[in-house]
Amino acid sequence: MTPRFPRLLLQCLVAVLCLAALRAHAEPYLAIQQGLKCGQCHVNPTGGGLRTAFGDVFAQTVLPAQHLDTGSDVWTGDVTKFLRVGGDLRFDALATQVPHSKTLDQFQMEQTRVYAEANVIPERLIVYVDEQVAPGGALNREAYGVYWAASHNWYVKAGQMYLPFGFRLEDQSAFIQTATGINMTTPDQGAEFGWEHGHWDAQFAVSNGTAGANTNDSRKQYSGQLIWVDSLWRVGAAANYNDKKAGSKSAGALFAGIRTGPVEWLAQGELVEDKSAPNGGLRTAAGLVEADWTVVKGSNLKVTAEYFDPDRSISNNGQTRWSVIYEYSPIQFVQLRGGVRYYDGIPQIDSQHTRIYFVQLHGFF
Amino acid sequence: MSFSAYKLFIAPLVAATLAGCAGNGDGLDANGKPIGSSGGGTAPLTADFQSIQVNVFTPICSPCHSGASAPEGLMLDAGHSYNLLVGIPSAEVPTLSRVKAGDPNNSYMVLKIQGSAGIVGGRMPLNGTPLPQATIDVIRTWITNGAPQGTATASATNAMAKIQSLGNSAPAAPFAVTDTAPLDNTTVIAPVARIVVAFNHEVDASLINYTTLTLERVASARTDSPVPMGEVGMPPTPFVVPTSAALAAGNPSVIVLTPAAPLVTGTYRVSVRGTGGGALADVNVQTLGSDYSFTFNVDVSQ
Repeated sequence: MTPRFPRLLLQCLVAVLCLAALRAHAEPYLAIQQGLKCGQCHVNPTGGGLRTAFGDVFAQTVLPAQHLDTGSDVWTGDVTKFLRVGGDLRFDALATQVPHSKTLDQFQMEQTRVYAEANVIPERLIVYVDEQVAPGGALNREAYGVYWAASHNWYVKAGQMYLPFGFRLEDQSAFIQTATGINMTTPDQGAEFGWEHGHWDAQFAVSNGTAGANTNDSRKQYSGQLIWVDSLWRVGAAANYNDKKAGSKSAGALFAGIRTGPVEWLAQGELVEDKSAPNGGLRTAAGLVEADWTVVKGSNLKVTAEYFDPDRSISNNGQTRWSVIYEYSPIQFVQLRGGVRYYDGIPQIDSQHTRIYFVQLHGFF
Repeated sequence: MSFSAYKLFIAPLVAATLAGCAGNGDGLDANGKPIGSSGGGTAPLTADFQSIQVNVFTPICSPCHSGASAPEGLMLDAGHSYNLLVGIPSAEVPTLSRVKAGDPNNSYMVLKIQGSAGIVGGRMPLNGTPLPQATIDVIRTWITNGAPQGTATASATNAMAKIQSLGNSAPAAPFAVTDTAPLDNTTVIAPVARIVVAFNHEVDASLINYTTLTLERVASARTDSPVPMGEVGMPPTPFVVPTSAALAAGNPSVIVLTPAAPLVTGTYRVSVRGTGGGALADVNVQTLGSDYSFTFNVDVSQ
């Protein structure tokens, strides 16, 4: 899955990317921009975490406004023939405003993560670890083994992993990430089967349904998605069912992306029903529209509009969230992000009118 | 950027805005619920423990967090929640209390319901709809206010009662154990790192020692195996388990016992000496009047 490139091949890849690639950055919109599947740039076939050698080269040559010359040396994460590493750091300076409350200004280590990939059997059998080392103590996010078929048309993964369900955004506080509870803070323990064939990309996972915590029953969570990936657009559907003793929870989502000139569009809508909620259960809905405009090489303007209905049986309670973020990558491995998140909701609840202004240092390799 | 590209960029966002305006809140109360319906007929959520228990812990948390197999040993039904929250180290990040009175930012329960960075496992409610921010804000306010067990009025009343009791007027109810975790005569299927013993009065901290509180491993929980799980390398039973004991921070009616190592498979007994010289007593020098003990099983093989 993540070949260790010979130097000549690597240099050719760098040249091809520099010449041919469109302006690009990170996150799912990048895949839409390039017409690629998530697994092209990430070790995890469903995206996120350690980049492949292709993703590493892409990040050094296409992402930044300027590529500091390192000669023929290109970082691909290879420590030895069989071991690759990577990392990701996000450090924020942010101001949070809530009506009738004092503005909170703070520095915040959002996350520091290290990744390791052991190619036990190159191209076929991989052991992968994603460990968050800050803030706080070490916290395992993902730890799994993957066995790929020789044809690379299918794989089996087992261990602790993020579940497949729609777009895997960088912003874990997006409504579509929190409404389902399926995001990059809630990996679960189980097994996943993946299938990749031509334009098709599909995953199906069975897990404990406890977000990595211990389980004391045999009930399981089932999560899957099916995506058609084209060079200019993609469309997918995802479903999740968590069989809980206190009441099941189910979710469904439709998502799509398209490239129109210099702008990539992402959209996802989802419905969630939680029968474990009091008073007969709870039905919620969430949606997101995202636009990413590559202004110039190394700069991206991201605008998102989100909607959340916290209880579909109640009228007049919808919430919205707008984000305008500018992302600037001056050199390879460094990104500066700044923006505002603007919440709106019912007037009775101050916190639904929060404003967050932030600047973020994002380092990755 | 060309004008056509500009239109391409703006038009769908305008459409999204029109399609997704925030609600105007008409007909809703301060919790975003239809007026008169909050908490299924209960009083609106306020920043006191009883209100939080009725509106949040009981309906939302206790369906999972109850009984002997409650996740992480945390029971959040009305009979146990306060004693197992305030001043009790969390099971997942023991350096943090579940609720640290006066400090919501360092209260692990708050971090869990906020889905903050650094938590172990998922955001609470697990795989459920996150609590509304307004609810989280109320819980934070309760903790900021010192996480009292009663309402502000009740707390003031209790304070007066304590002052009066110091004037040689003994509390009406005799000093007694009101709650334990694990519960008496139950089986826990995960290693036990902490044991909680709650009382109805504040405990005299100077009397908490190895003679007044004892943890013993009295038997193996499994007898159907020649070498039960957890038995290898274990000393013969019964034996006293090395344990430290202290009052829960900010919750002086609760004693937390911490074994030197998490308890594995076996049957355990906690004894509280309530008679004789140096017996455990409350701050008014009132002893239990009799010894008290409770027993529980740990079976990590399930």
